[in-house]
Amino acid sequence: MLQQRCFHCHEPVPAAVDFHYDVLGQSQVFCCAGCQAVAETIVAQGLTDYYKFRSKAAAKANAVPEELKAQLHSYDSADVLQDLSQSVGDAQRIELSVSGMSCAACAWLIERQLQQNPAVQRVSVNSGTARCELIWYPQQAPLSQILGAVSQLGYQASPFVADQEEQHFQQELNAYLKRLAVSGIMTMQVMMLAFGLYFGEFSGIEAQYEGYLRWVSLLLTLPVMAYSALPFSSSAWRALKARELNMDVPITLALYYTFAASLYATVFDTGEVYFESVCMFVFLLQLGKFFEFRARKQARDATSNLLKVMPVSATLWDGSQGSPTSARRLKSGDHILVKAGEIIPADGVVQSGISSADESMLTGEYKAVAKQPGDAVLAGSINHDGILVVQVRSALTESRLGQIIALQQQTLHQKPALLEKTDRIARFFVQRLLIIATLTFSAWYFWIDPDRAFWVTLSVLVATCPCALSLATPTAITCALAQLNRQGILIKNQQVLDVLPQLSKIFFDKTGTLTQGRFSLSEVRVYHNALGKTELLALMAALEQQSEHPIARAFAPYYQQAVAAEQVSLTVGAGLSGVYQQQQVRLGSAAFCGLVPTDPRVADAQVCLSIAGELAATVQLSDQLRAEVPALMQRLQALRLKLAILTGDASAAAAAVATQLHISELWQGCSPEQKVSAISQAVKAGEKVLMVGDGINDSPCFHAAHVSVALDSGTELSKNQADVVLLHNNLQQLETLIAGARRAKRVVRQNLWWAALYNLVIIPLAVCGFVSPYVAVIGMSCSSLLVVSNSLRLLKA
Amino acid sequence: MSIIYVLIPIAILFVLIGIAIFFWAVRSKQFDDLDKEGFSILFNEKAKTPPAGNDASHEAGTSREP
Repeated sequence: MLQQRCFHCHEPVPAAVDFHYDVLGQSQVFCCAGCQAVAETIVAQGLTDYYKFRSKAAAKANAVPEELKAQLHSYDSADVLQDLSQSVGDAQRIELSVSGMSCAACAWLIERQLQQNPAVQRVSVNSGTARCELIWYPQQAPLSQILGAVSQLGYQASPFVADQEEQHFQQELNAYLKRLAVSGIMTMQVMMLAFGLYFGEFSGIEAQYEGYLRWVSLLLTLPVMAYSALPFSSSAWRALKARELNMDVPITLALYYTFAASLYATVFDTGEVYFESVCMFVFLLQLGKFFEFRARKQARDATSNLLKVMPVSATLWDGSQGSPTSARRLKSGDHILVKAGEIIPADGVVQSGISSADESMLTGEYKAVAKQPGDAVLAGSINHDGILVVQVRSALTESRLGQIIALQQQTLHQKPALLEKTDRIARFFVQRLLIIATLTFSAWYFWIDPDRAFWVTLSVLVATCPCALSLATPTAITCALAQLNRQGILIKNQQVLDVLPQLSKIFFDKTGTLTQGRFSLSEVRVYHNALGKTELLALMAALEQQSEHPIARAFAPYYQQAVAAEQVSLTVGAGLSGVYQQQQVRLGSAAFCGLVPTDPRVADAQVCLSIAGELAATVQLSDQLRAEVPALMQRLQALRLKLAILTGDASAAAAAVATQLHISELWQGCSPEQKVSAISQAVKAGEKVLMVGDGINDSPCFHAAHVSVALDSGTELSKNQADVVLLHNNLQQLETLIAGARRAKRVVRQNLWWAALYNLVIIPLAVCGFVSPYVAVIGMSCSSLLVVSNSLRLLKA
Repeated sequence: MSIIYVLIPIAILFVLIGIAIFFWAVRSKQFDDLDKEGFSILFNEKAKTPPAGNDASHEAGTSREP
């Protein structure tokens, strides 16, 4: 039978469920109540166009839990709003980060839904960055109502504060666009006029028209020189002031020299003009830079949700009731209430309540840590199952999370400096070029033919024009970036491709990077006579469905609708109990199941299942290696890369992973500070270091390494700080990345060789006066074209 | 041929207008999300949104013009 798929999210519809609703005049099937509710909302609002035009299926819409709805209300408090939004007259402006968006139609859907709310003044959703800009009147509708409207459509919106750097990137990108437009449009105009002049050259043109066309070309080139070429000239000027030479120096030199010569020719009505070459050169360089910058900006935007890790709101507890406040305003001594599933908003000590907390983001330890009165909790960790009342010990900025973020800001400037190779070449090239040009000029002026001295020198400069050289690296890098992007590897720092081919050492974080970062069943032992392994696992899954604990998630794949337990109840910190086939079942620690903990059968098991007081099964859980890791490690070692594990985990599990993967260098039990120093040591020892990690505790050392890589499953902070993000959550991509960088390096080298060879041939000819400026322009264009098309090969690889 | 003394300046005028429009488009964030703007023409504009409707139809209208 054909598997039915959900109309909303296109996921397979489970056999036993039955959700129907009429959309677009036809009865459609849904996989869950969440998807059906979203579809009902869409139809009720008259937004069915979404289904007609969307290009991708929506994300599965899980029904919004009541707790989450309550959490939205915490954004309504005036304190929190003030921290998150700006006033625009009567209205407030806020930026939201939206998760669950899959295509541009989603953006339209959200905009439409919000525009129907009279309190909303303006809303604009960006589908590329998954951000939403909202201006609304908080007096008419609280923020929670608006966020609730978005969640009715199956998306989760949360307030977001863009960092300064991001705003700067956006302004820069707009400036690039404008410069590109000016140089592009002007190039077209000047080229058109140049054709008039070319034809005039062959078929004759009256002097007055020739002069007129030249003057118009001059006029049109002026904005290109004065506006579009500005980044090159200002960068060259900065380099000269610092007594350095970079690639922009020869570019600027060639631009101004050619422009000045053409200006001279126009004013005094003699020689040749090259306005079209000037414009075209600026346009091509700008185009390359624009694409590279845009790719980097997109990579950055996709991963920069830094403030999402910082807890935004907190619930103050006065002993009998809670009141929402901003997490940033918590002071030492305040009492706060933390519900199940919430992020703990401050460092503190538990006053009452029993629960367990997930601190993996901060410590790298994946096992949940049990919390009872008197225990310390960390800001940024997640409270799992119980309700806690916590006395705040330090304000958010002084919390462990705040310290790690501060440490990472400090290390920001520690990034090991790399001299860009093209700059070294530029220095070599410009020095020699200036000497040759000066010698040519003086030789012609004093000994050979003073009248031709200027034009011969010009052809030397034009023929050797650094086009090919200056395009060699950026075009190759841009193409390699685009190619890797397509394979799900986001690169935010273009130096990455420069360093990777020389890579000598890789540091891996363990939890969540080498391993899956979550529990999975490693061993199941069955002691029951009647029930088999599958039924027992399904029974355990049915019980664990009621729990939010990370251990519960390990059982989810074994869930079967047919096996259902009744009267399931949860004992926080111990286990679950229920009734199955009129028999009492208990799942949890040995003591909870009423077994003797010294029984050899249960001594080493993490979870036991008892049916009617008798032991039925035991389960061992562990954090298993990612499937691709063992083979990948072997291949990386074959590339003669040194591998090391750098983990916060102090247990024997770390050593076991190291032996299993044959990695001899193991740093375990490291604090974020120790991680940074371990990497700095390797950098000082002359290694080219790459760091792969996923937690908040890894992010400071990302800046200490030459290249840092984060996985998409990692924390937002680590993705924000890393140079590279692997979107497919597959470490295998590390190999693709290294191979891609090596290929890019090969192409750059070919390009540079070609440019050097071309110059070696053309310079002697130009110096001797055999190359007329026209021929020089053709030679220059051809060598640039060759370089660009060679780089384009990288796109196909 | 002396007509080019008139025609070229007119052409330059058009070019300047074009650049001015482009700059305006960049400033009003029309290039921030190219995917969404491409889609906006597909969705029909039912004036079902009295309060924010003016704003919306204005936006969609401008994106259709070129």
